[in-house]
Amino acid sequence: MIAAILRAQWLSMRSFRLNSRRRSAVFSLITAFIWYGFWAFLALTAEEFMSSADAAEAIRIGLPAGLMLVFAYWQLAPIISASLGASLDLKKLLIYPVPHRKLYVIEVLLRLTTCAEMLLMLTGAMTGLVRNPLFGGATAVPRIVAPMLVFMAFNLLLAAGLRNLLERLLTHKRVRELLMIVLVICAALPRLYFASQRGKGGFRRLLSEAPGGFWPWTAVAQMALGKEVLFSGLILITWAAAAFAFGRWQFERSLRYDADATAAPFIATSRPALSRLEAFYRLPGTFLPDPLAAIVEKELRALSRTPRFRMVFVMGFSFGLVVWLPITFGEHGRGSTIVSDHYLTIVGVYAVTLLGQVSYLNAFGFDRSAAQVYFSLPVAISRALAGKNIAAALYIFFEMLAVTAASSVFRMQIAPAKILEAFVVAAIVGLYLLAVGNLSSVHFPRAMNPERVSQGGTASRMQALIFVFYPIALLPVFLAFWARYVFGSQLIFVLILSFAAVLGVVVYWIALESAVGSALERREKILMELSRGEGPVATE
Amino acid sequence: MDVLAPAIEIHDLRKQYGNKAAVDGLSLTVPRGTFFGFLGPNGAGKSTTIRMLTGLIPPTTGSIRLLGMAMPGEEIEIKKRIGLVPDESLLFDRLTGLEFLEFVGRMYGLARPVAKERSGELLELFELSDQPRKLIAEFSKGMRKRVAMAASLIHRPKLFLMDEPFEGVDAVGARLMKDILLDQVRQGATIFLTSHVLEVVERLCDRVAIIHAGKIVREGPMHELRSGSDTLEDVFVRVVGAEREFEKLDWL
Repeated sequence: MIAAILRAQWLSMRSFRLNSRRRSAVFSLITAFIWYGFWAFLALTAEEFMSSADAAEAIRIGLPAGLMLVFAYWQLAPIISASLGASLDLKKLLIYPVPHRKLYVIEVLLRLTTCAEMLLMLTGAMTGLVRNPLFGGATAVPRIVAPMLVFMAFNLLLAAGLRNLLERLLTHKRVRELLMIVLVICAALPRLYFASQRGKGGFRRLLSEAPGGFWPWTAVAQMALGKEVLFSGLILITWAAAAFAFGRWQFERSLRYDADATAAPFIATSRPALSRLEAFYRLPGTFLPDPLAAIVEKELRALSRTPRFRMVFVMGFSFGLVVWLPITFGEHGRGSTIVSDHYLTIVGVYAVTLLGQVSYLNAFGFDRSAAQVYFSLPVAISRALAGKNIAAALYIFFEMLAVTAASSVFRMQIAPAKILEAFVVAAIVGLYLLAVGNLSSVHFPRAMNPERVSQGGTASRMQALIFVFYPIALLPVFLAFWARYVFGSQLIFVLILSFAAVLGVVVYWIALESAVGSALERREKILMELSRGEGPVATE
Repeated sequence: MDVLAPAIEIHDLRKQYGNKAAVDGLSLTVPRGTFFGFLGPNGAGKSTTIRMLTGLIPPTTGSIRLLGMAMPGEEIEIKKRIGLVPDESLLFDRLTGLEFLEFVGRMYGLARPVAKERSGELLELFELSDQPRKLIAEFSKGMRKRVAMAASLIHRPKLFLMDEPFEGVDAVGARLMKDILLDQVRQGATIFLTSHVLEVVERLCDRVAIIHAGKIVREGPMHELRSGSDTLEDVFVRVVGAEREFEKLDWL
């Protein structure tokens, strides 16, 4: 049965690749090669370090901390990246007589999709320790390898349980966005803490003091280094058994969970009779003619009700601030730096780029098969794209307002001129990004489930191209700042920024024309991509 | 626009996917004011034909004229006069039924107050008005079909293209939809409909075409097709060559 499920998934993925995503697959492979190549390099470095007899003292002190970081990455990285990895689509499989334990085995194995990096690191560390003349050797192989393997199993089982728990919690409308935001901000707080002077001291203490307690990473380190092997082994097995029990319990709960029943009563009472947002939705109708106004209005309504979009919008001004604050003030206290001088602009641009994943870079993503409306109604496709762009621009404006308001919460004194500058820069950068977005929306469309908070945004090929397009889109504005820094002239800054704006309009216009042509030419492929389903394993 | 031209004129239409022709040299004329049934087994090319008629996919070769206008060419003018109920959803999940209908009305050029008024009336007519704040994502399949049907009516089209419009709709809803469609035909509209429910086609349609493997294999007025005591089902099964293969399976 496990083989049948995996085969069904393989066949789904194969047909997926064979149709129109061959080039996307190549880009995915290149991206994966770079990413895992980086981690393989780190793993080799770890292997070299762990095999050195001279580093014995550092290994004794650092190994538990290192394993703790592996544990933290393994469990938190999928949450921070809002990508919980592949998982079984239980709705598709529960109708068959498959024993739950078999489904659970697949579910646990699928956790490997979010932690291959850590497997590489652990393998590197393990191999290094075996080669180390002080800790390793042929007789030490079982003592080093066994706890590492149990540690991997512990992490897999815990990750499976946490995933199931999160998935269920995330089905509660509104609660899920709140939960994701809290988790993401919590994940960013250690960075803020360690960047502070107090945090730096704490981190040094963590690395310099002998580890204690009953933590799984401590137990693994003790065993691998040959200290209190039996006692540590007992602790480790207890942790692994607890993780198994937790994972299995959560999986069984997910199997019996009725998401629709949980969400239904909430939906009926969640929206007030006359929404205050109604005035906001109807705003475009006051200054735009139909059908453009109708499209903008539809986008404003639909996006504001899409959990994934709401989460990213809130992350822009919450997570964005938390990420950039330590960089701004962590290193230099509260003195003036380039980053702190342009804090609002940087956070604003970051938030604007973040919004792209759920709006302008894949404009038809949330419409999915309903995108055929734009091809079957008597409206030019240029209107549809322009309407979606105007809606995205409005959200960019509101995102900037939110970033400014959130900055004031942190008691940051930002001069009105800097606020104006941040808004103008965000608008110009937005213009270039909308141009890129129109092209990517018709060349790399990807259906997105509006209900799922944790999923990628654009197609994998576009994600690779973003690395190229983002610097290009930011270049004109960057040049303006660079000129101001070099020449010390506000006038030159304004002139270059104005030129960037004019150029942006031209670029946007050309990109829109090109996107319209491509949309008409590729309409069949676009609709096919947007109507695509998945196999028994839902990939994110 | 030629007011006397047939509602649909298709000449030698072909749609090729790789080395397989989903629609293979299809020619068809549907006079105005006709309730036309377009039948065929699964994979015969019905939905592909409708998707070409609506401009969603371009034909490989051949020509299409709807209401006397060429598709593509006068695409926007044609679309203004078409009411479409596709086989798969064209509904925006994150809008309510009322919001979606108003959106569609405005896209067809109706003034906002008119679109809003008609949307409310259509929701009332299709018995969807009791939960005005419910999102389309929360609708059942039958409710989604009703919304799609309501959306196809909002701008009073001259030609309806409908792919399995009754699929998943309960008996009361289906009856209401049939009555509305018959009334539209009486008022001069043309309906081009595909359905697997042959009893429905038999009762509603005055002309029928049967497509099999991308080609028209039978076409004509209903009374001519159903000569003698044959039902439409008998004719259909005979024409598309379905055999009782299951009798060969001993274990079944």
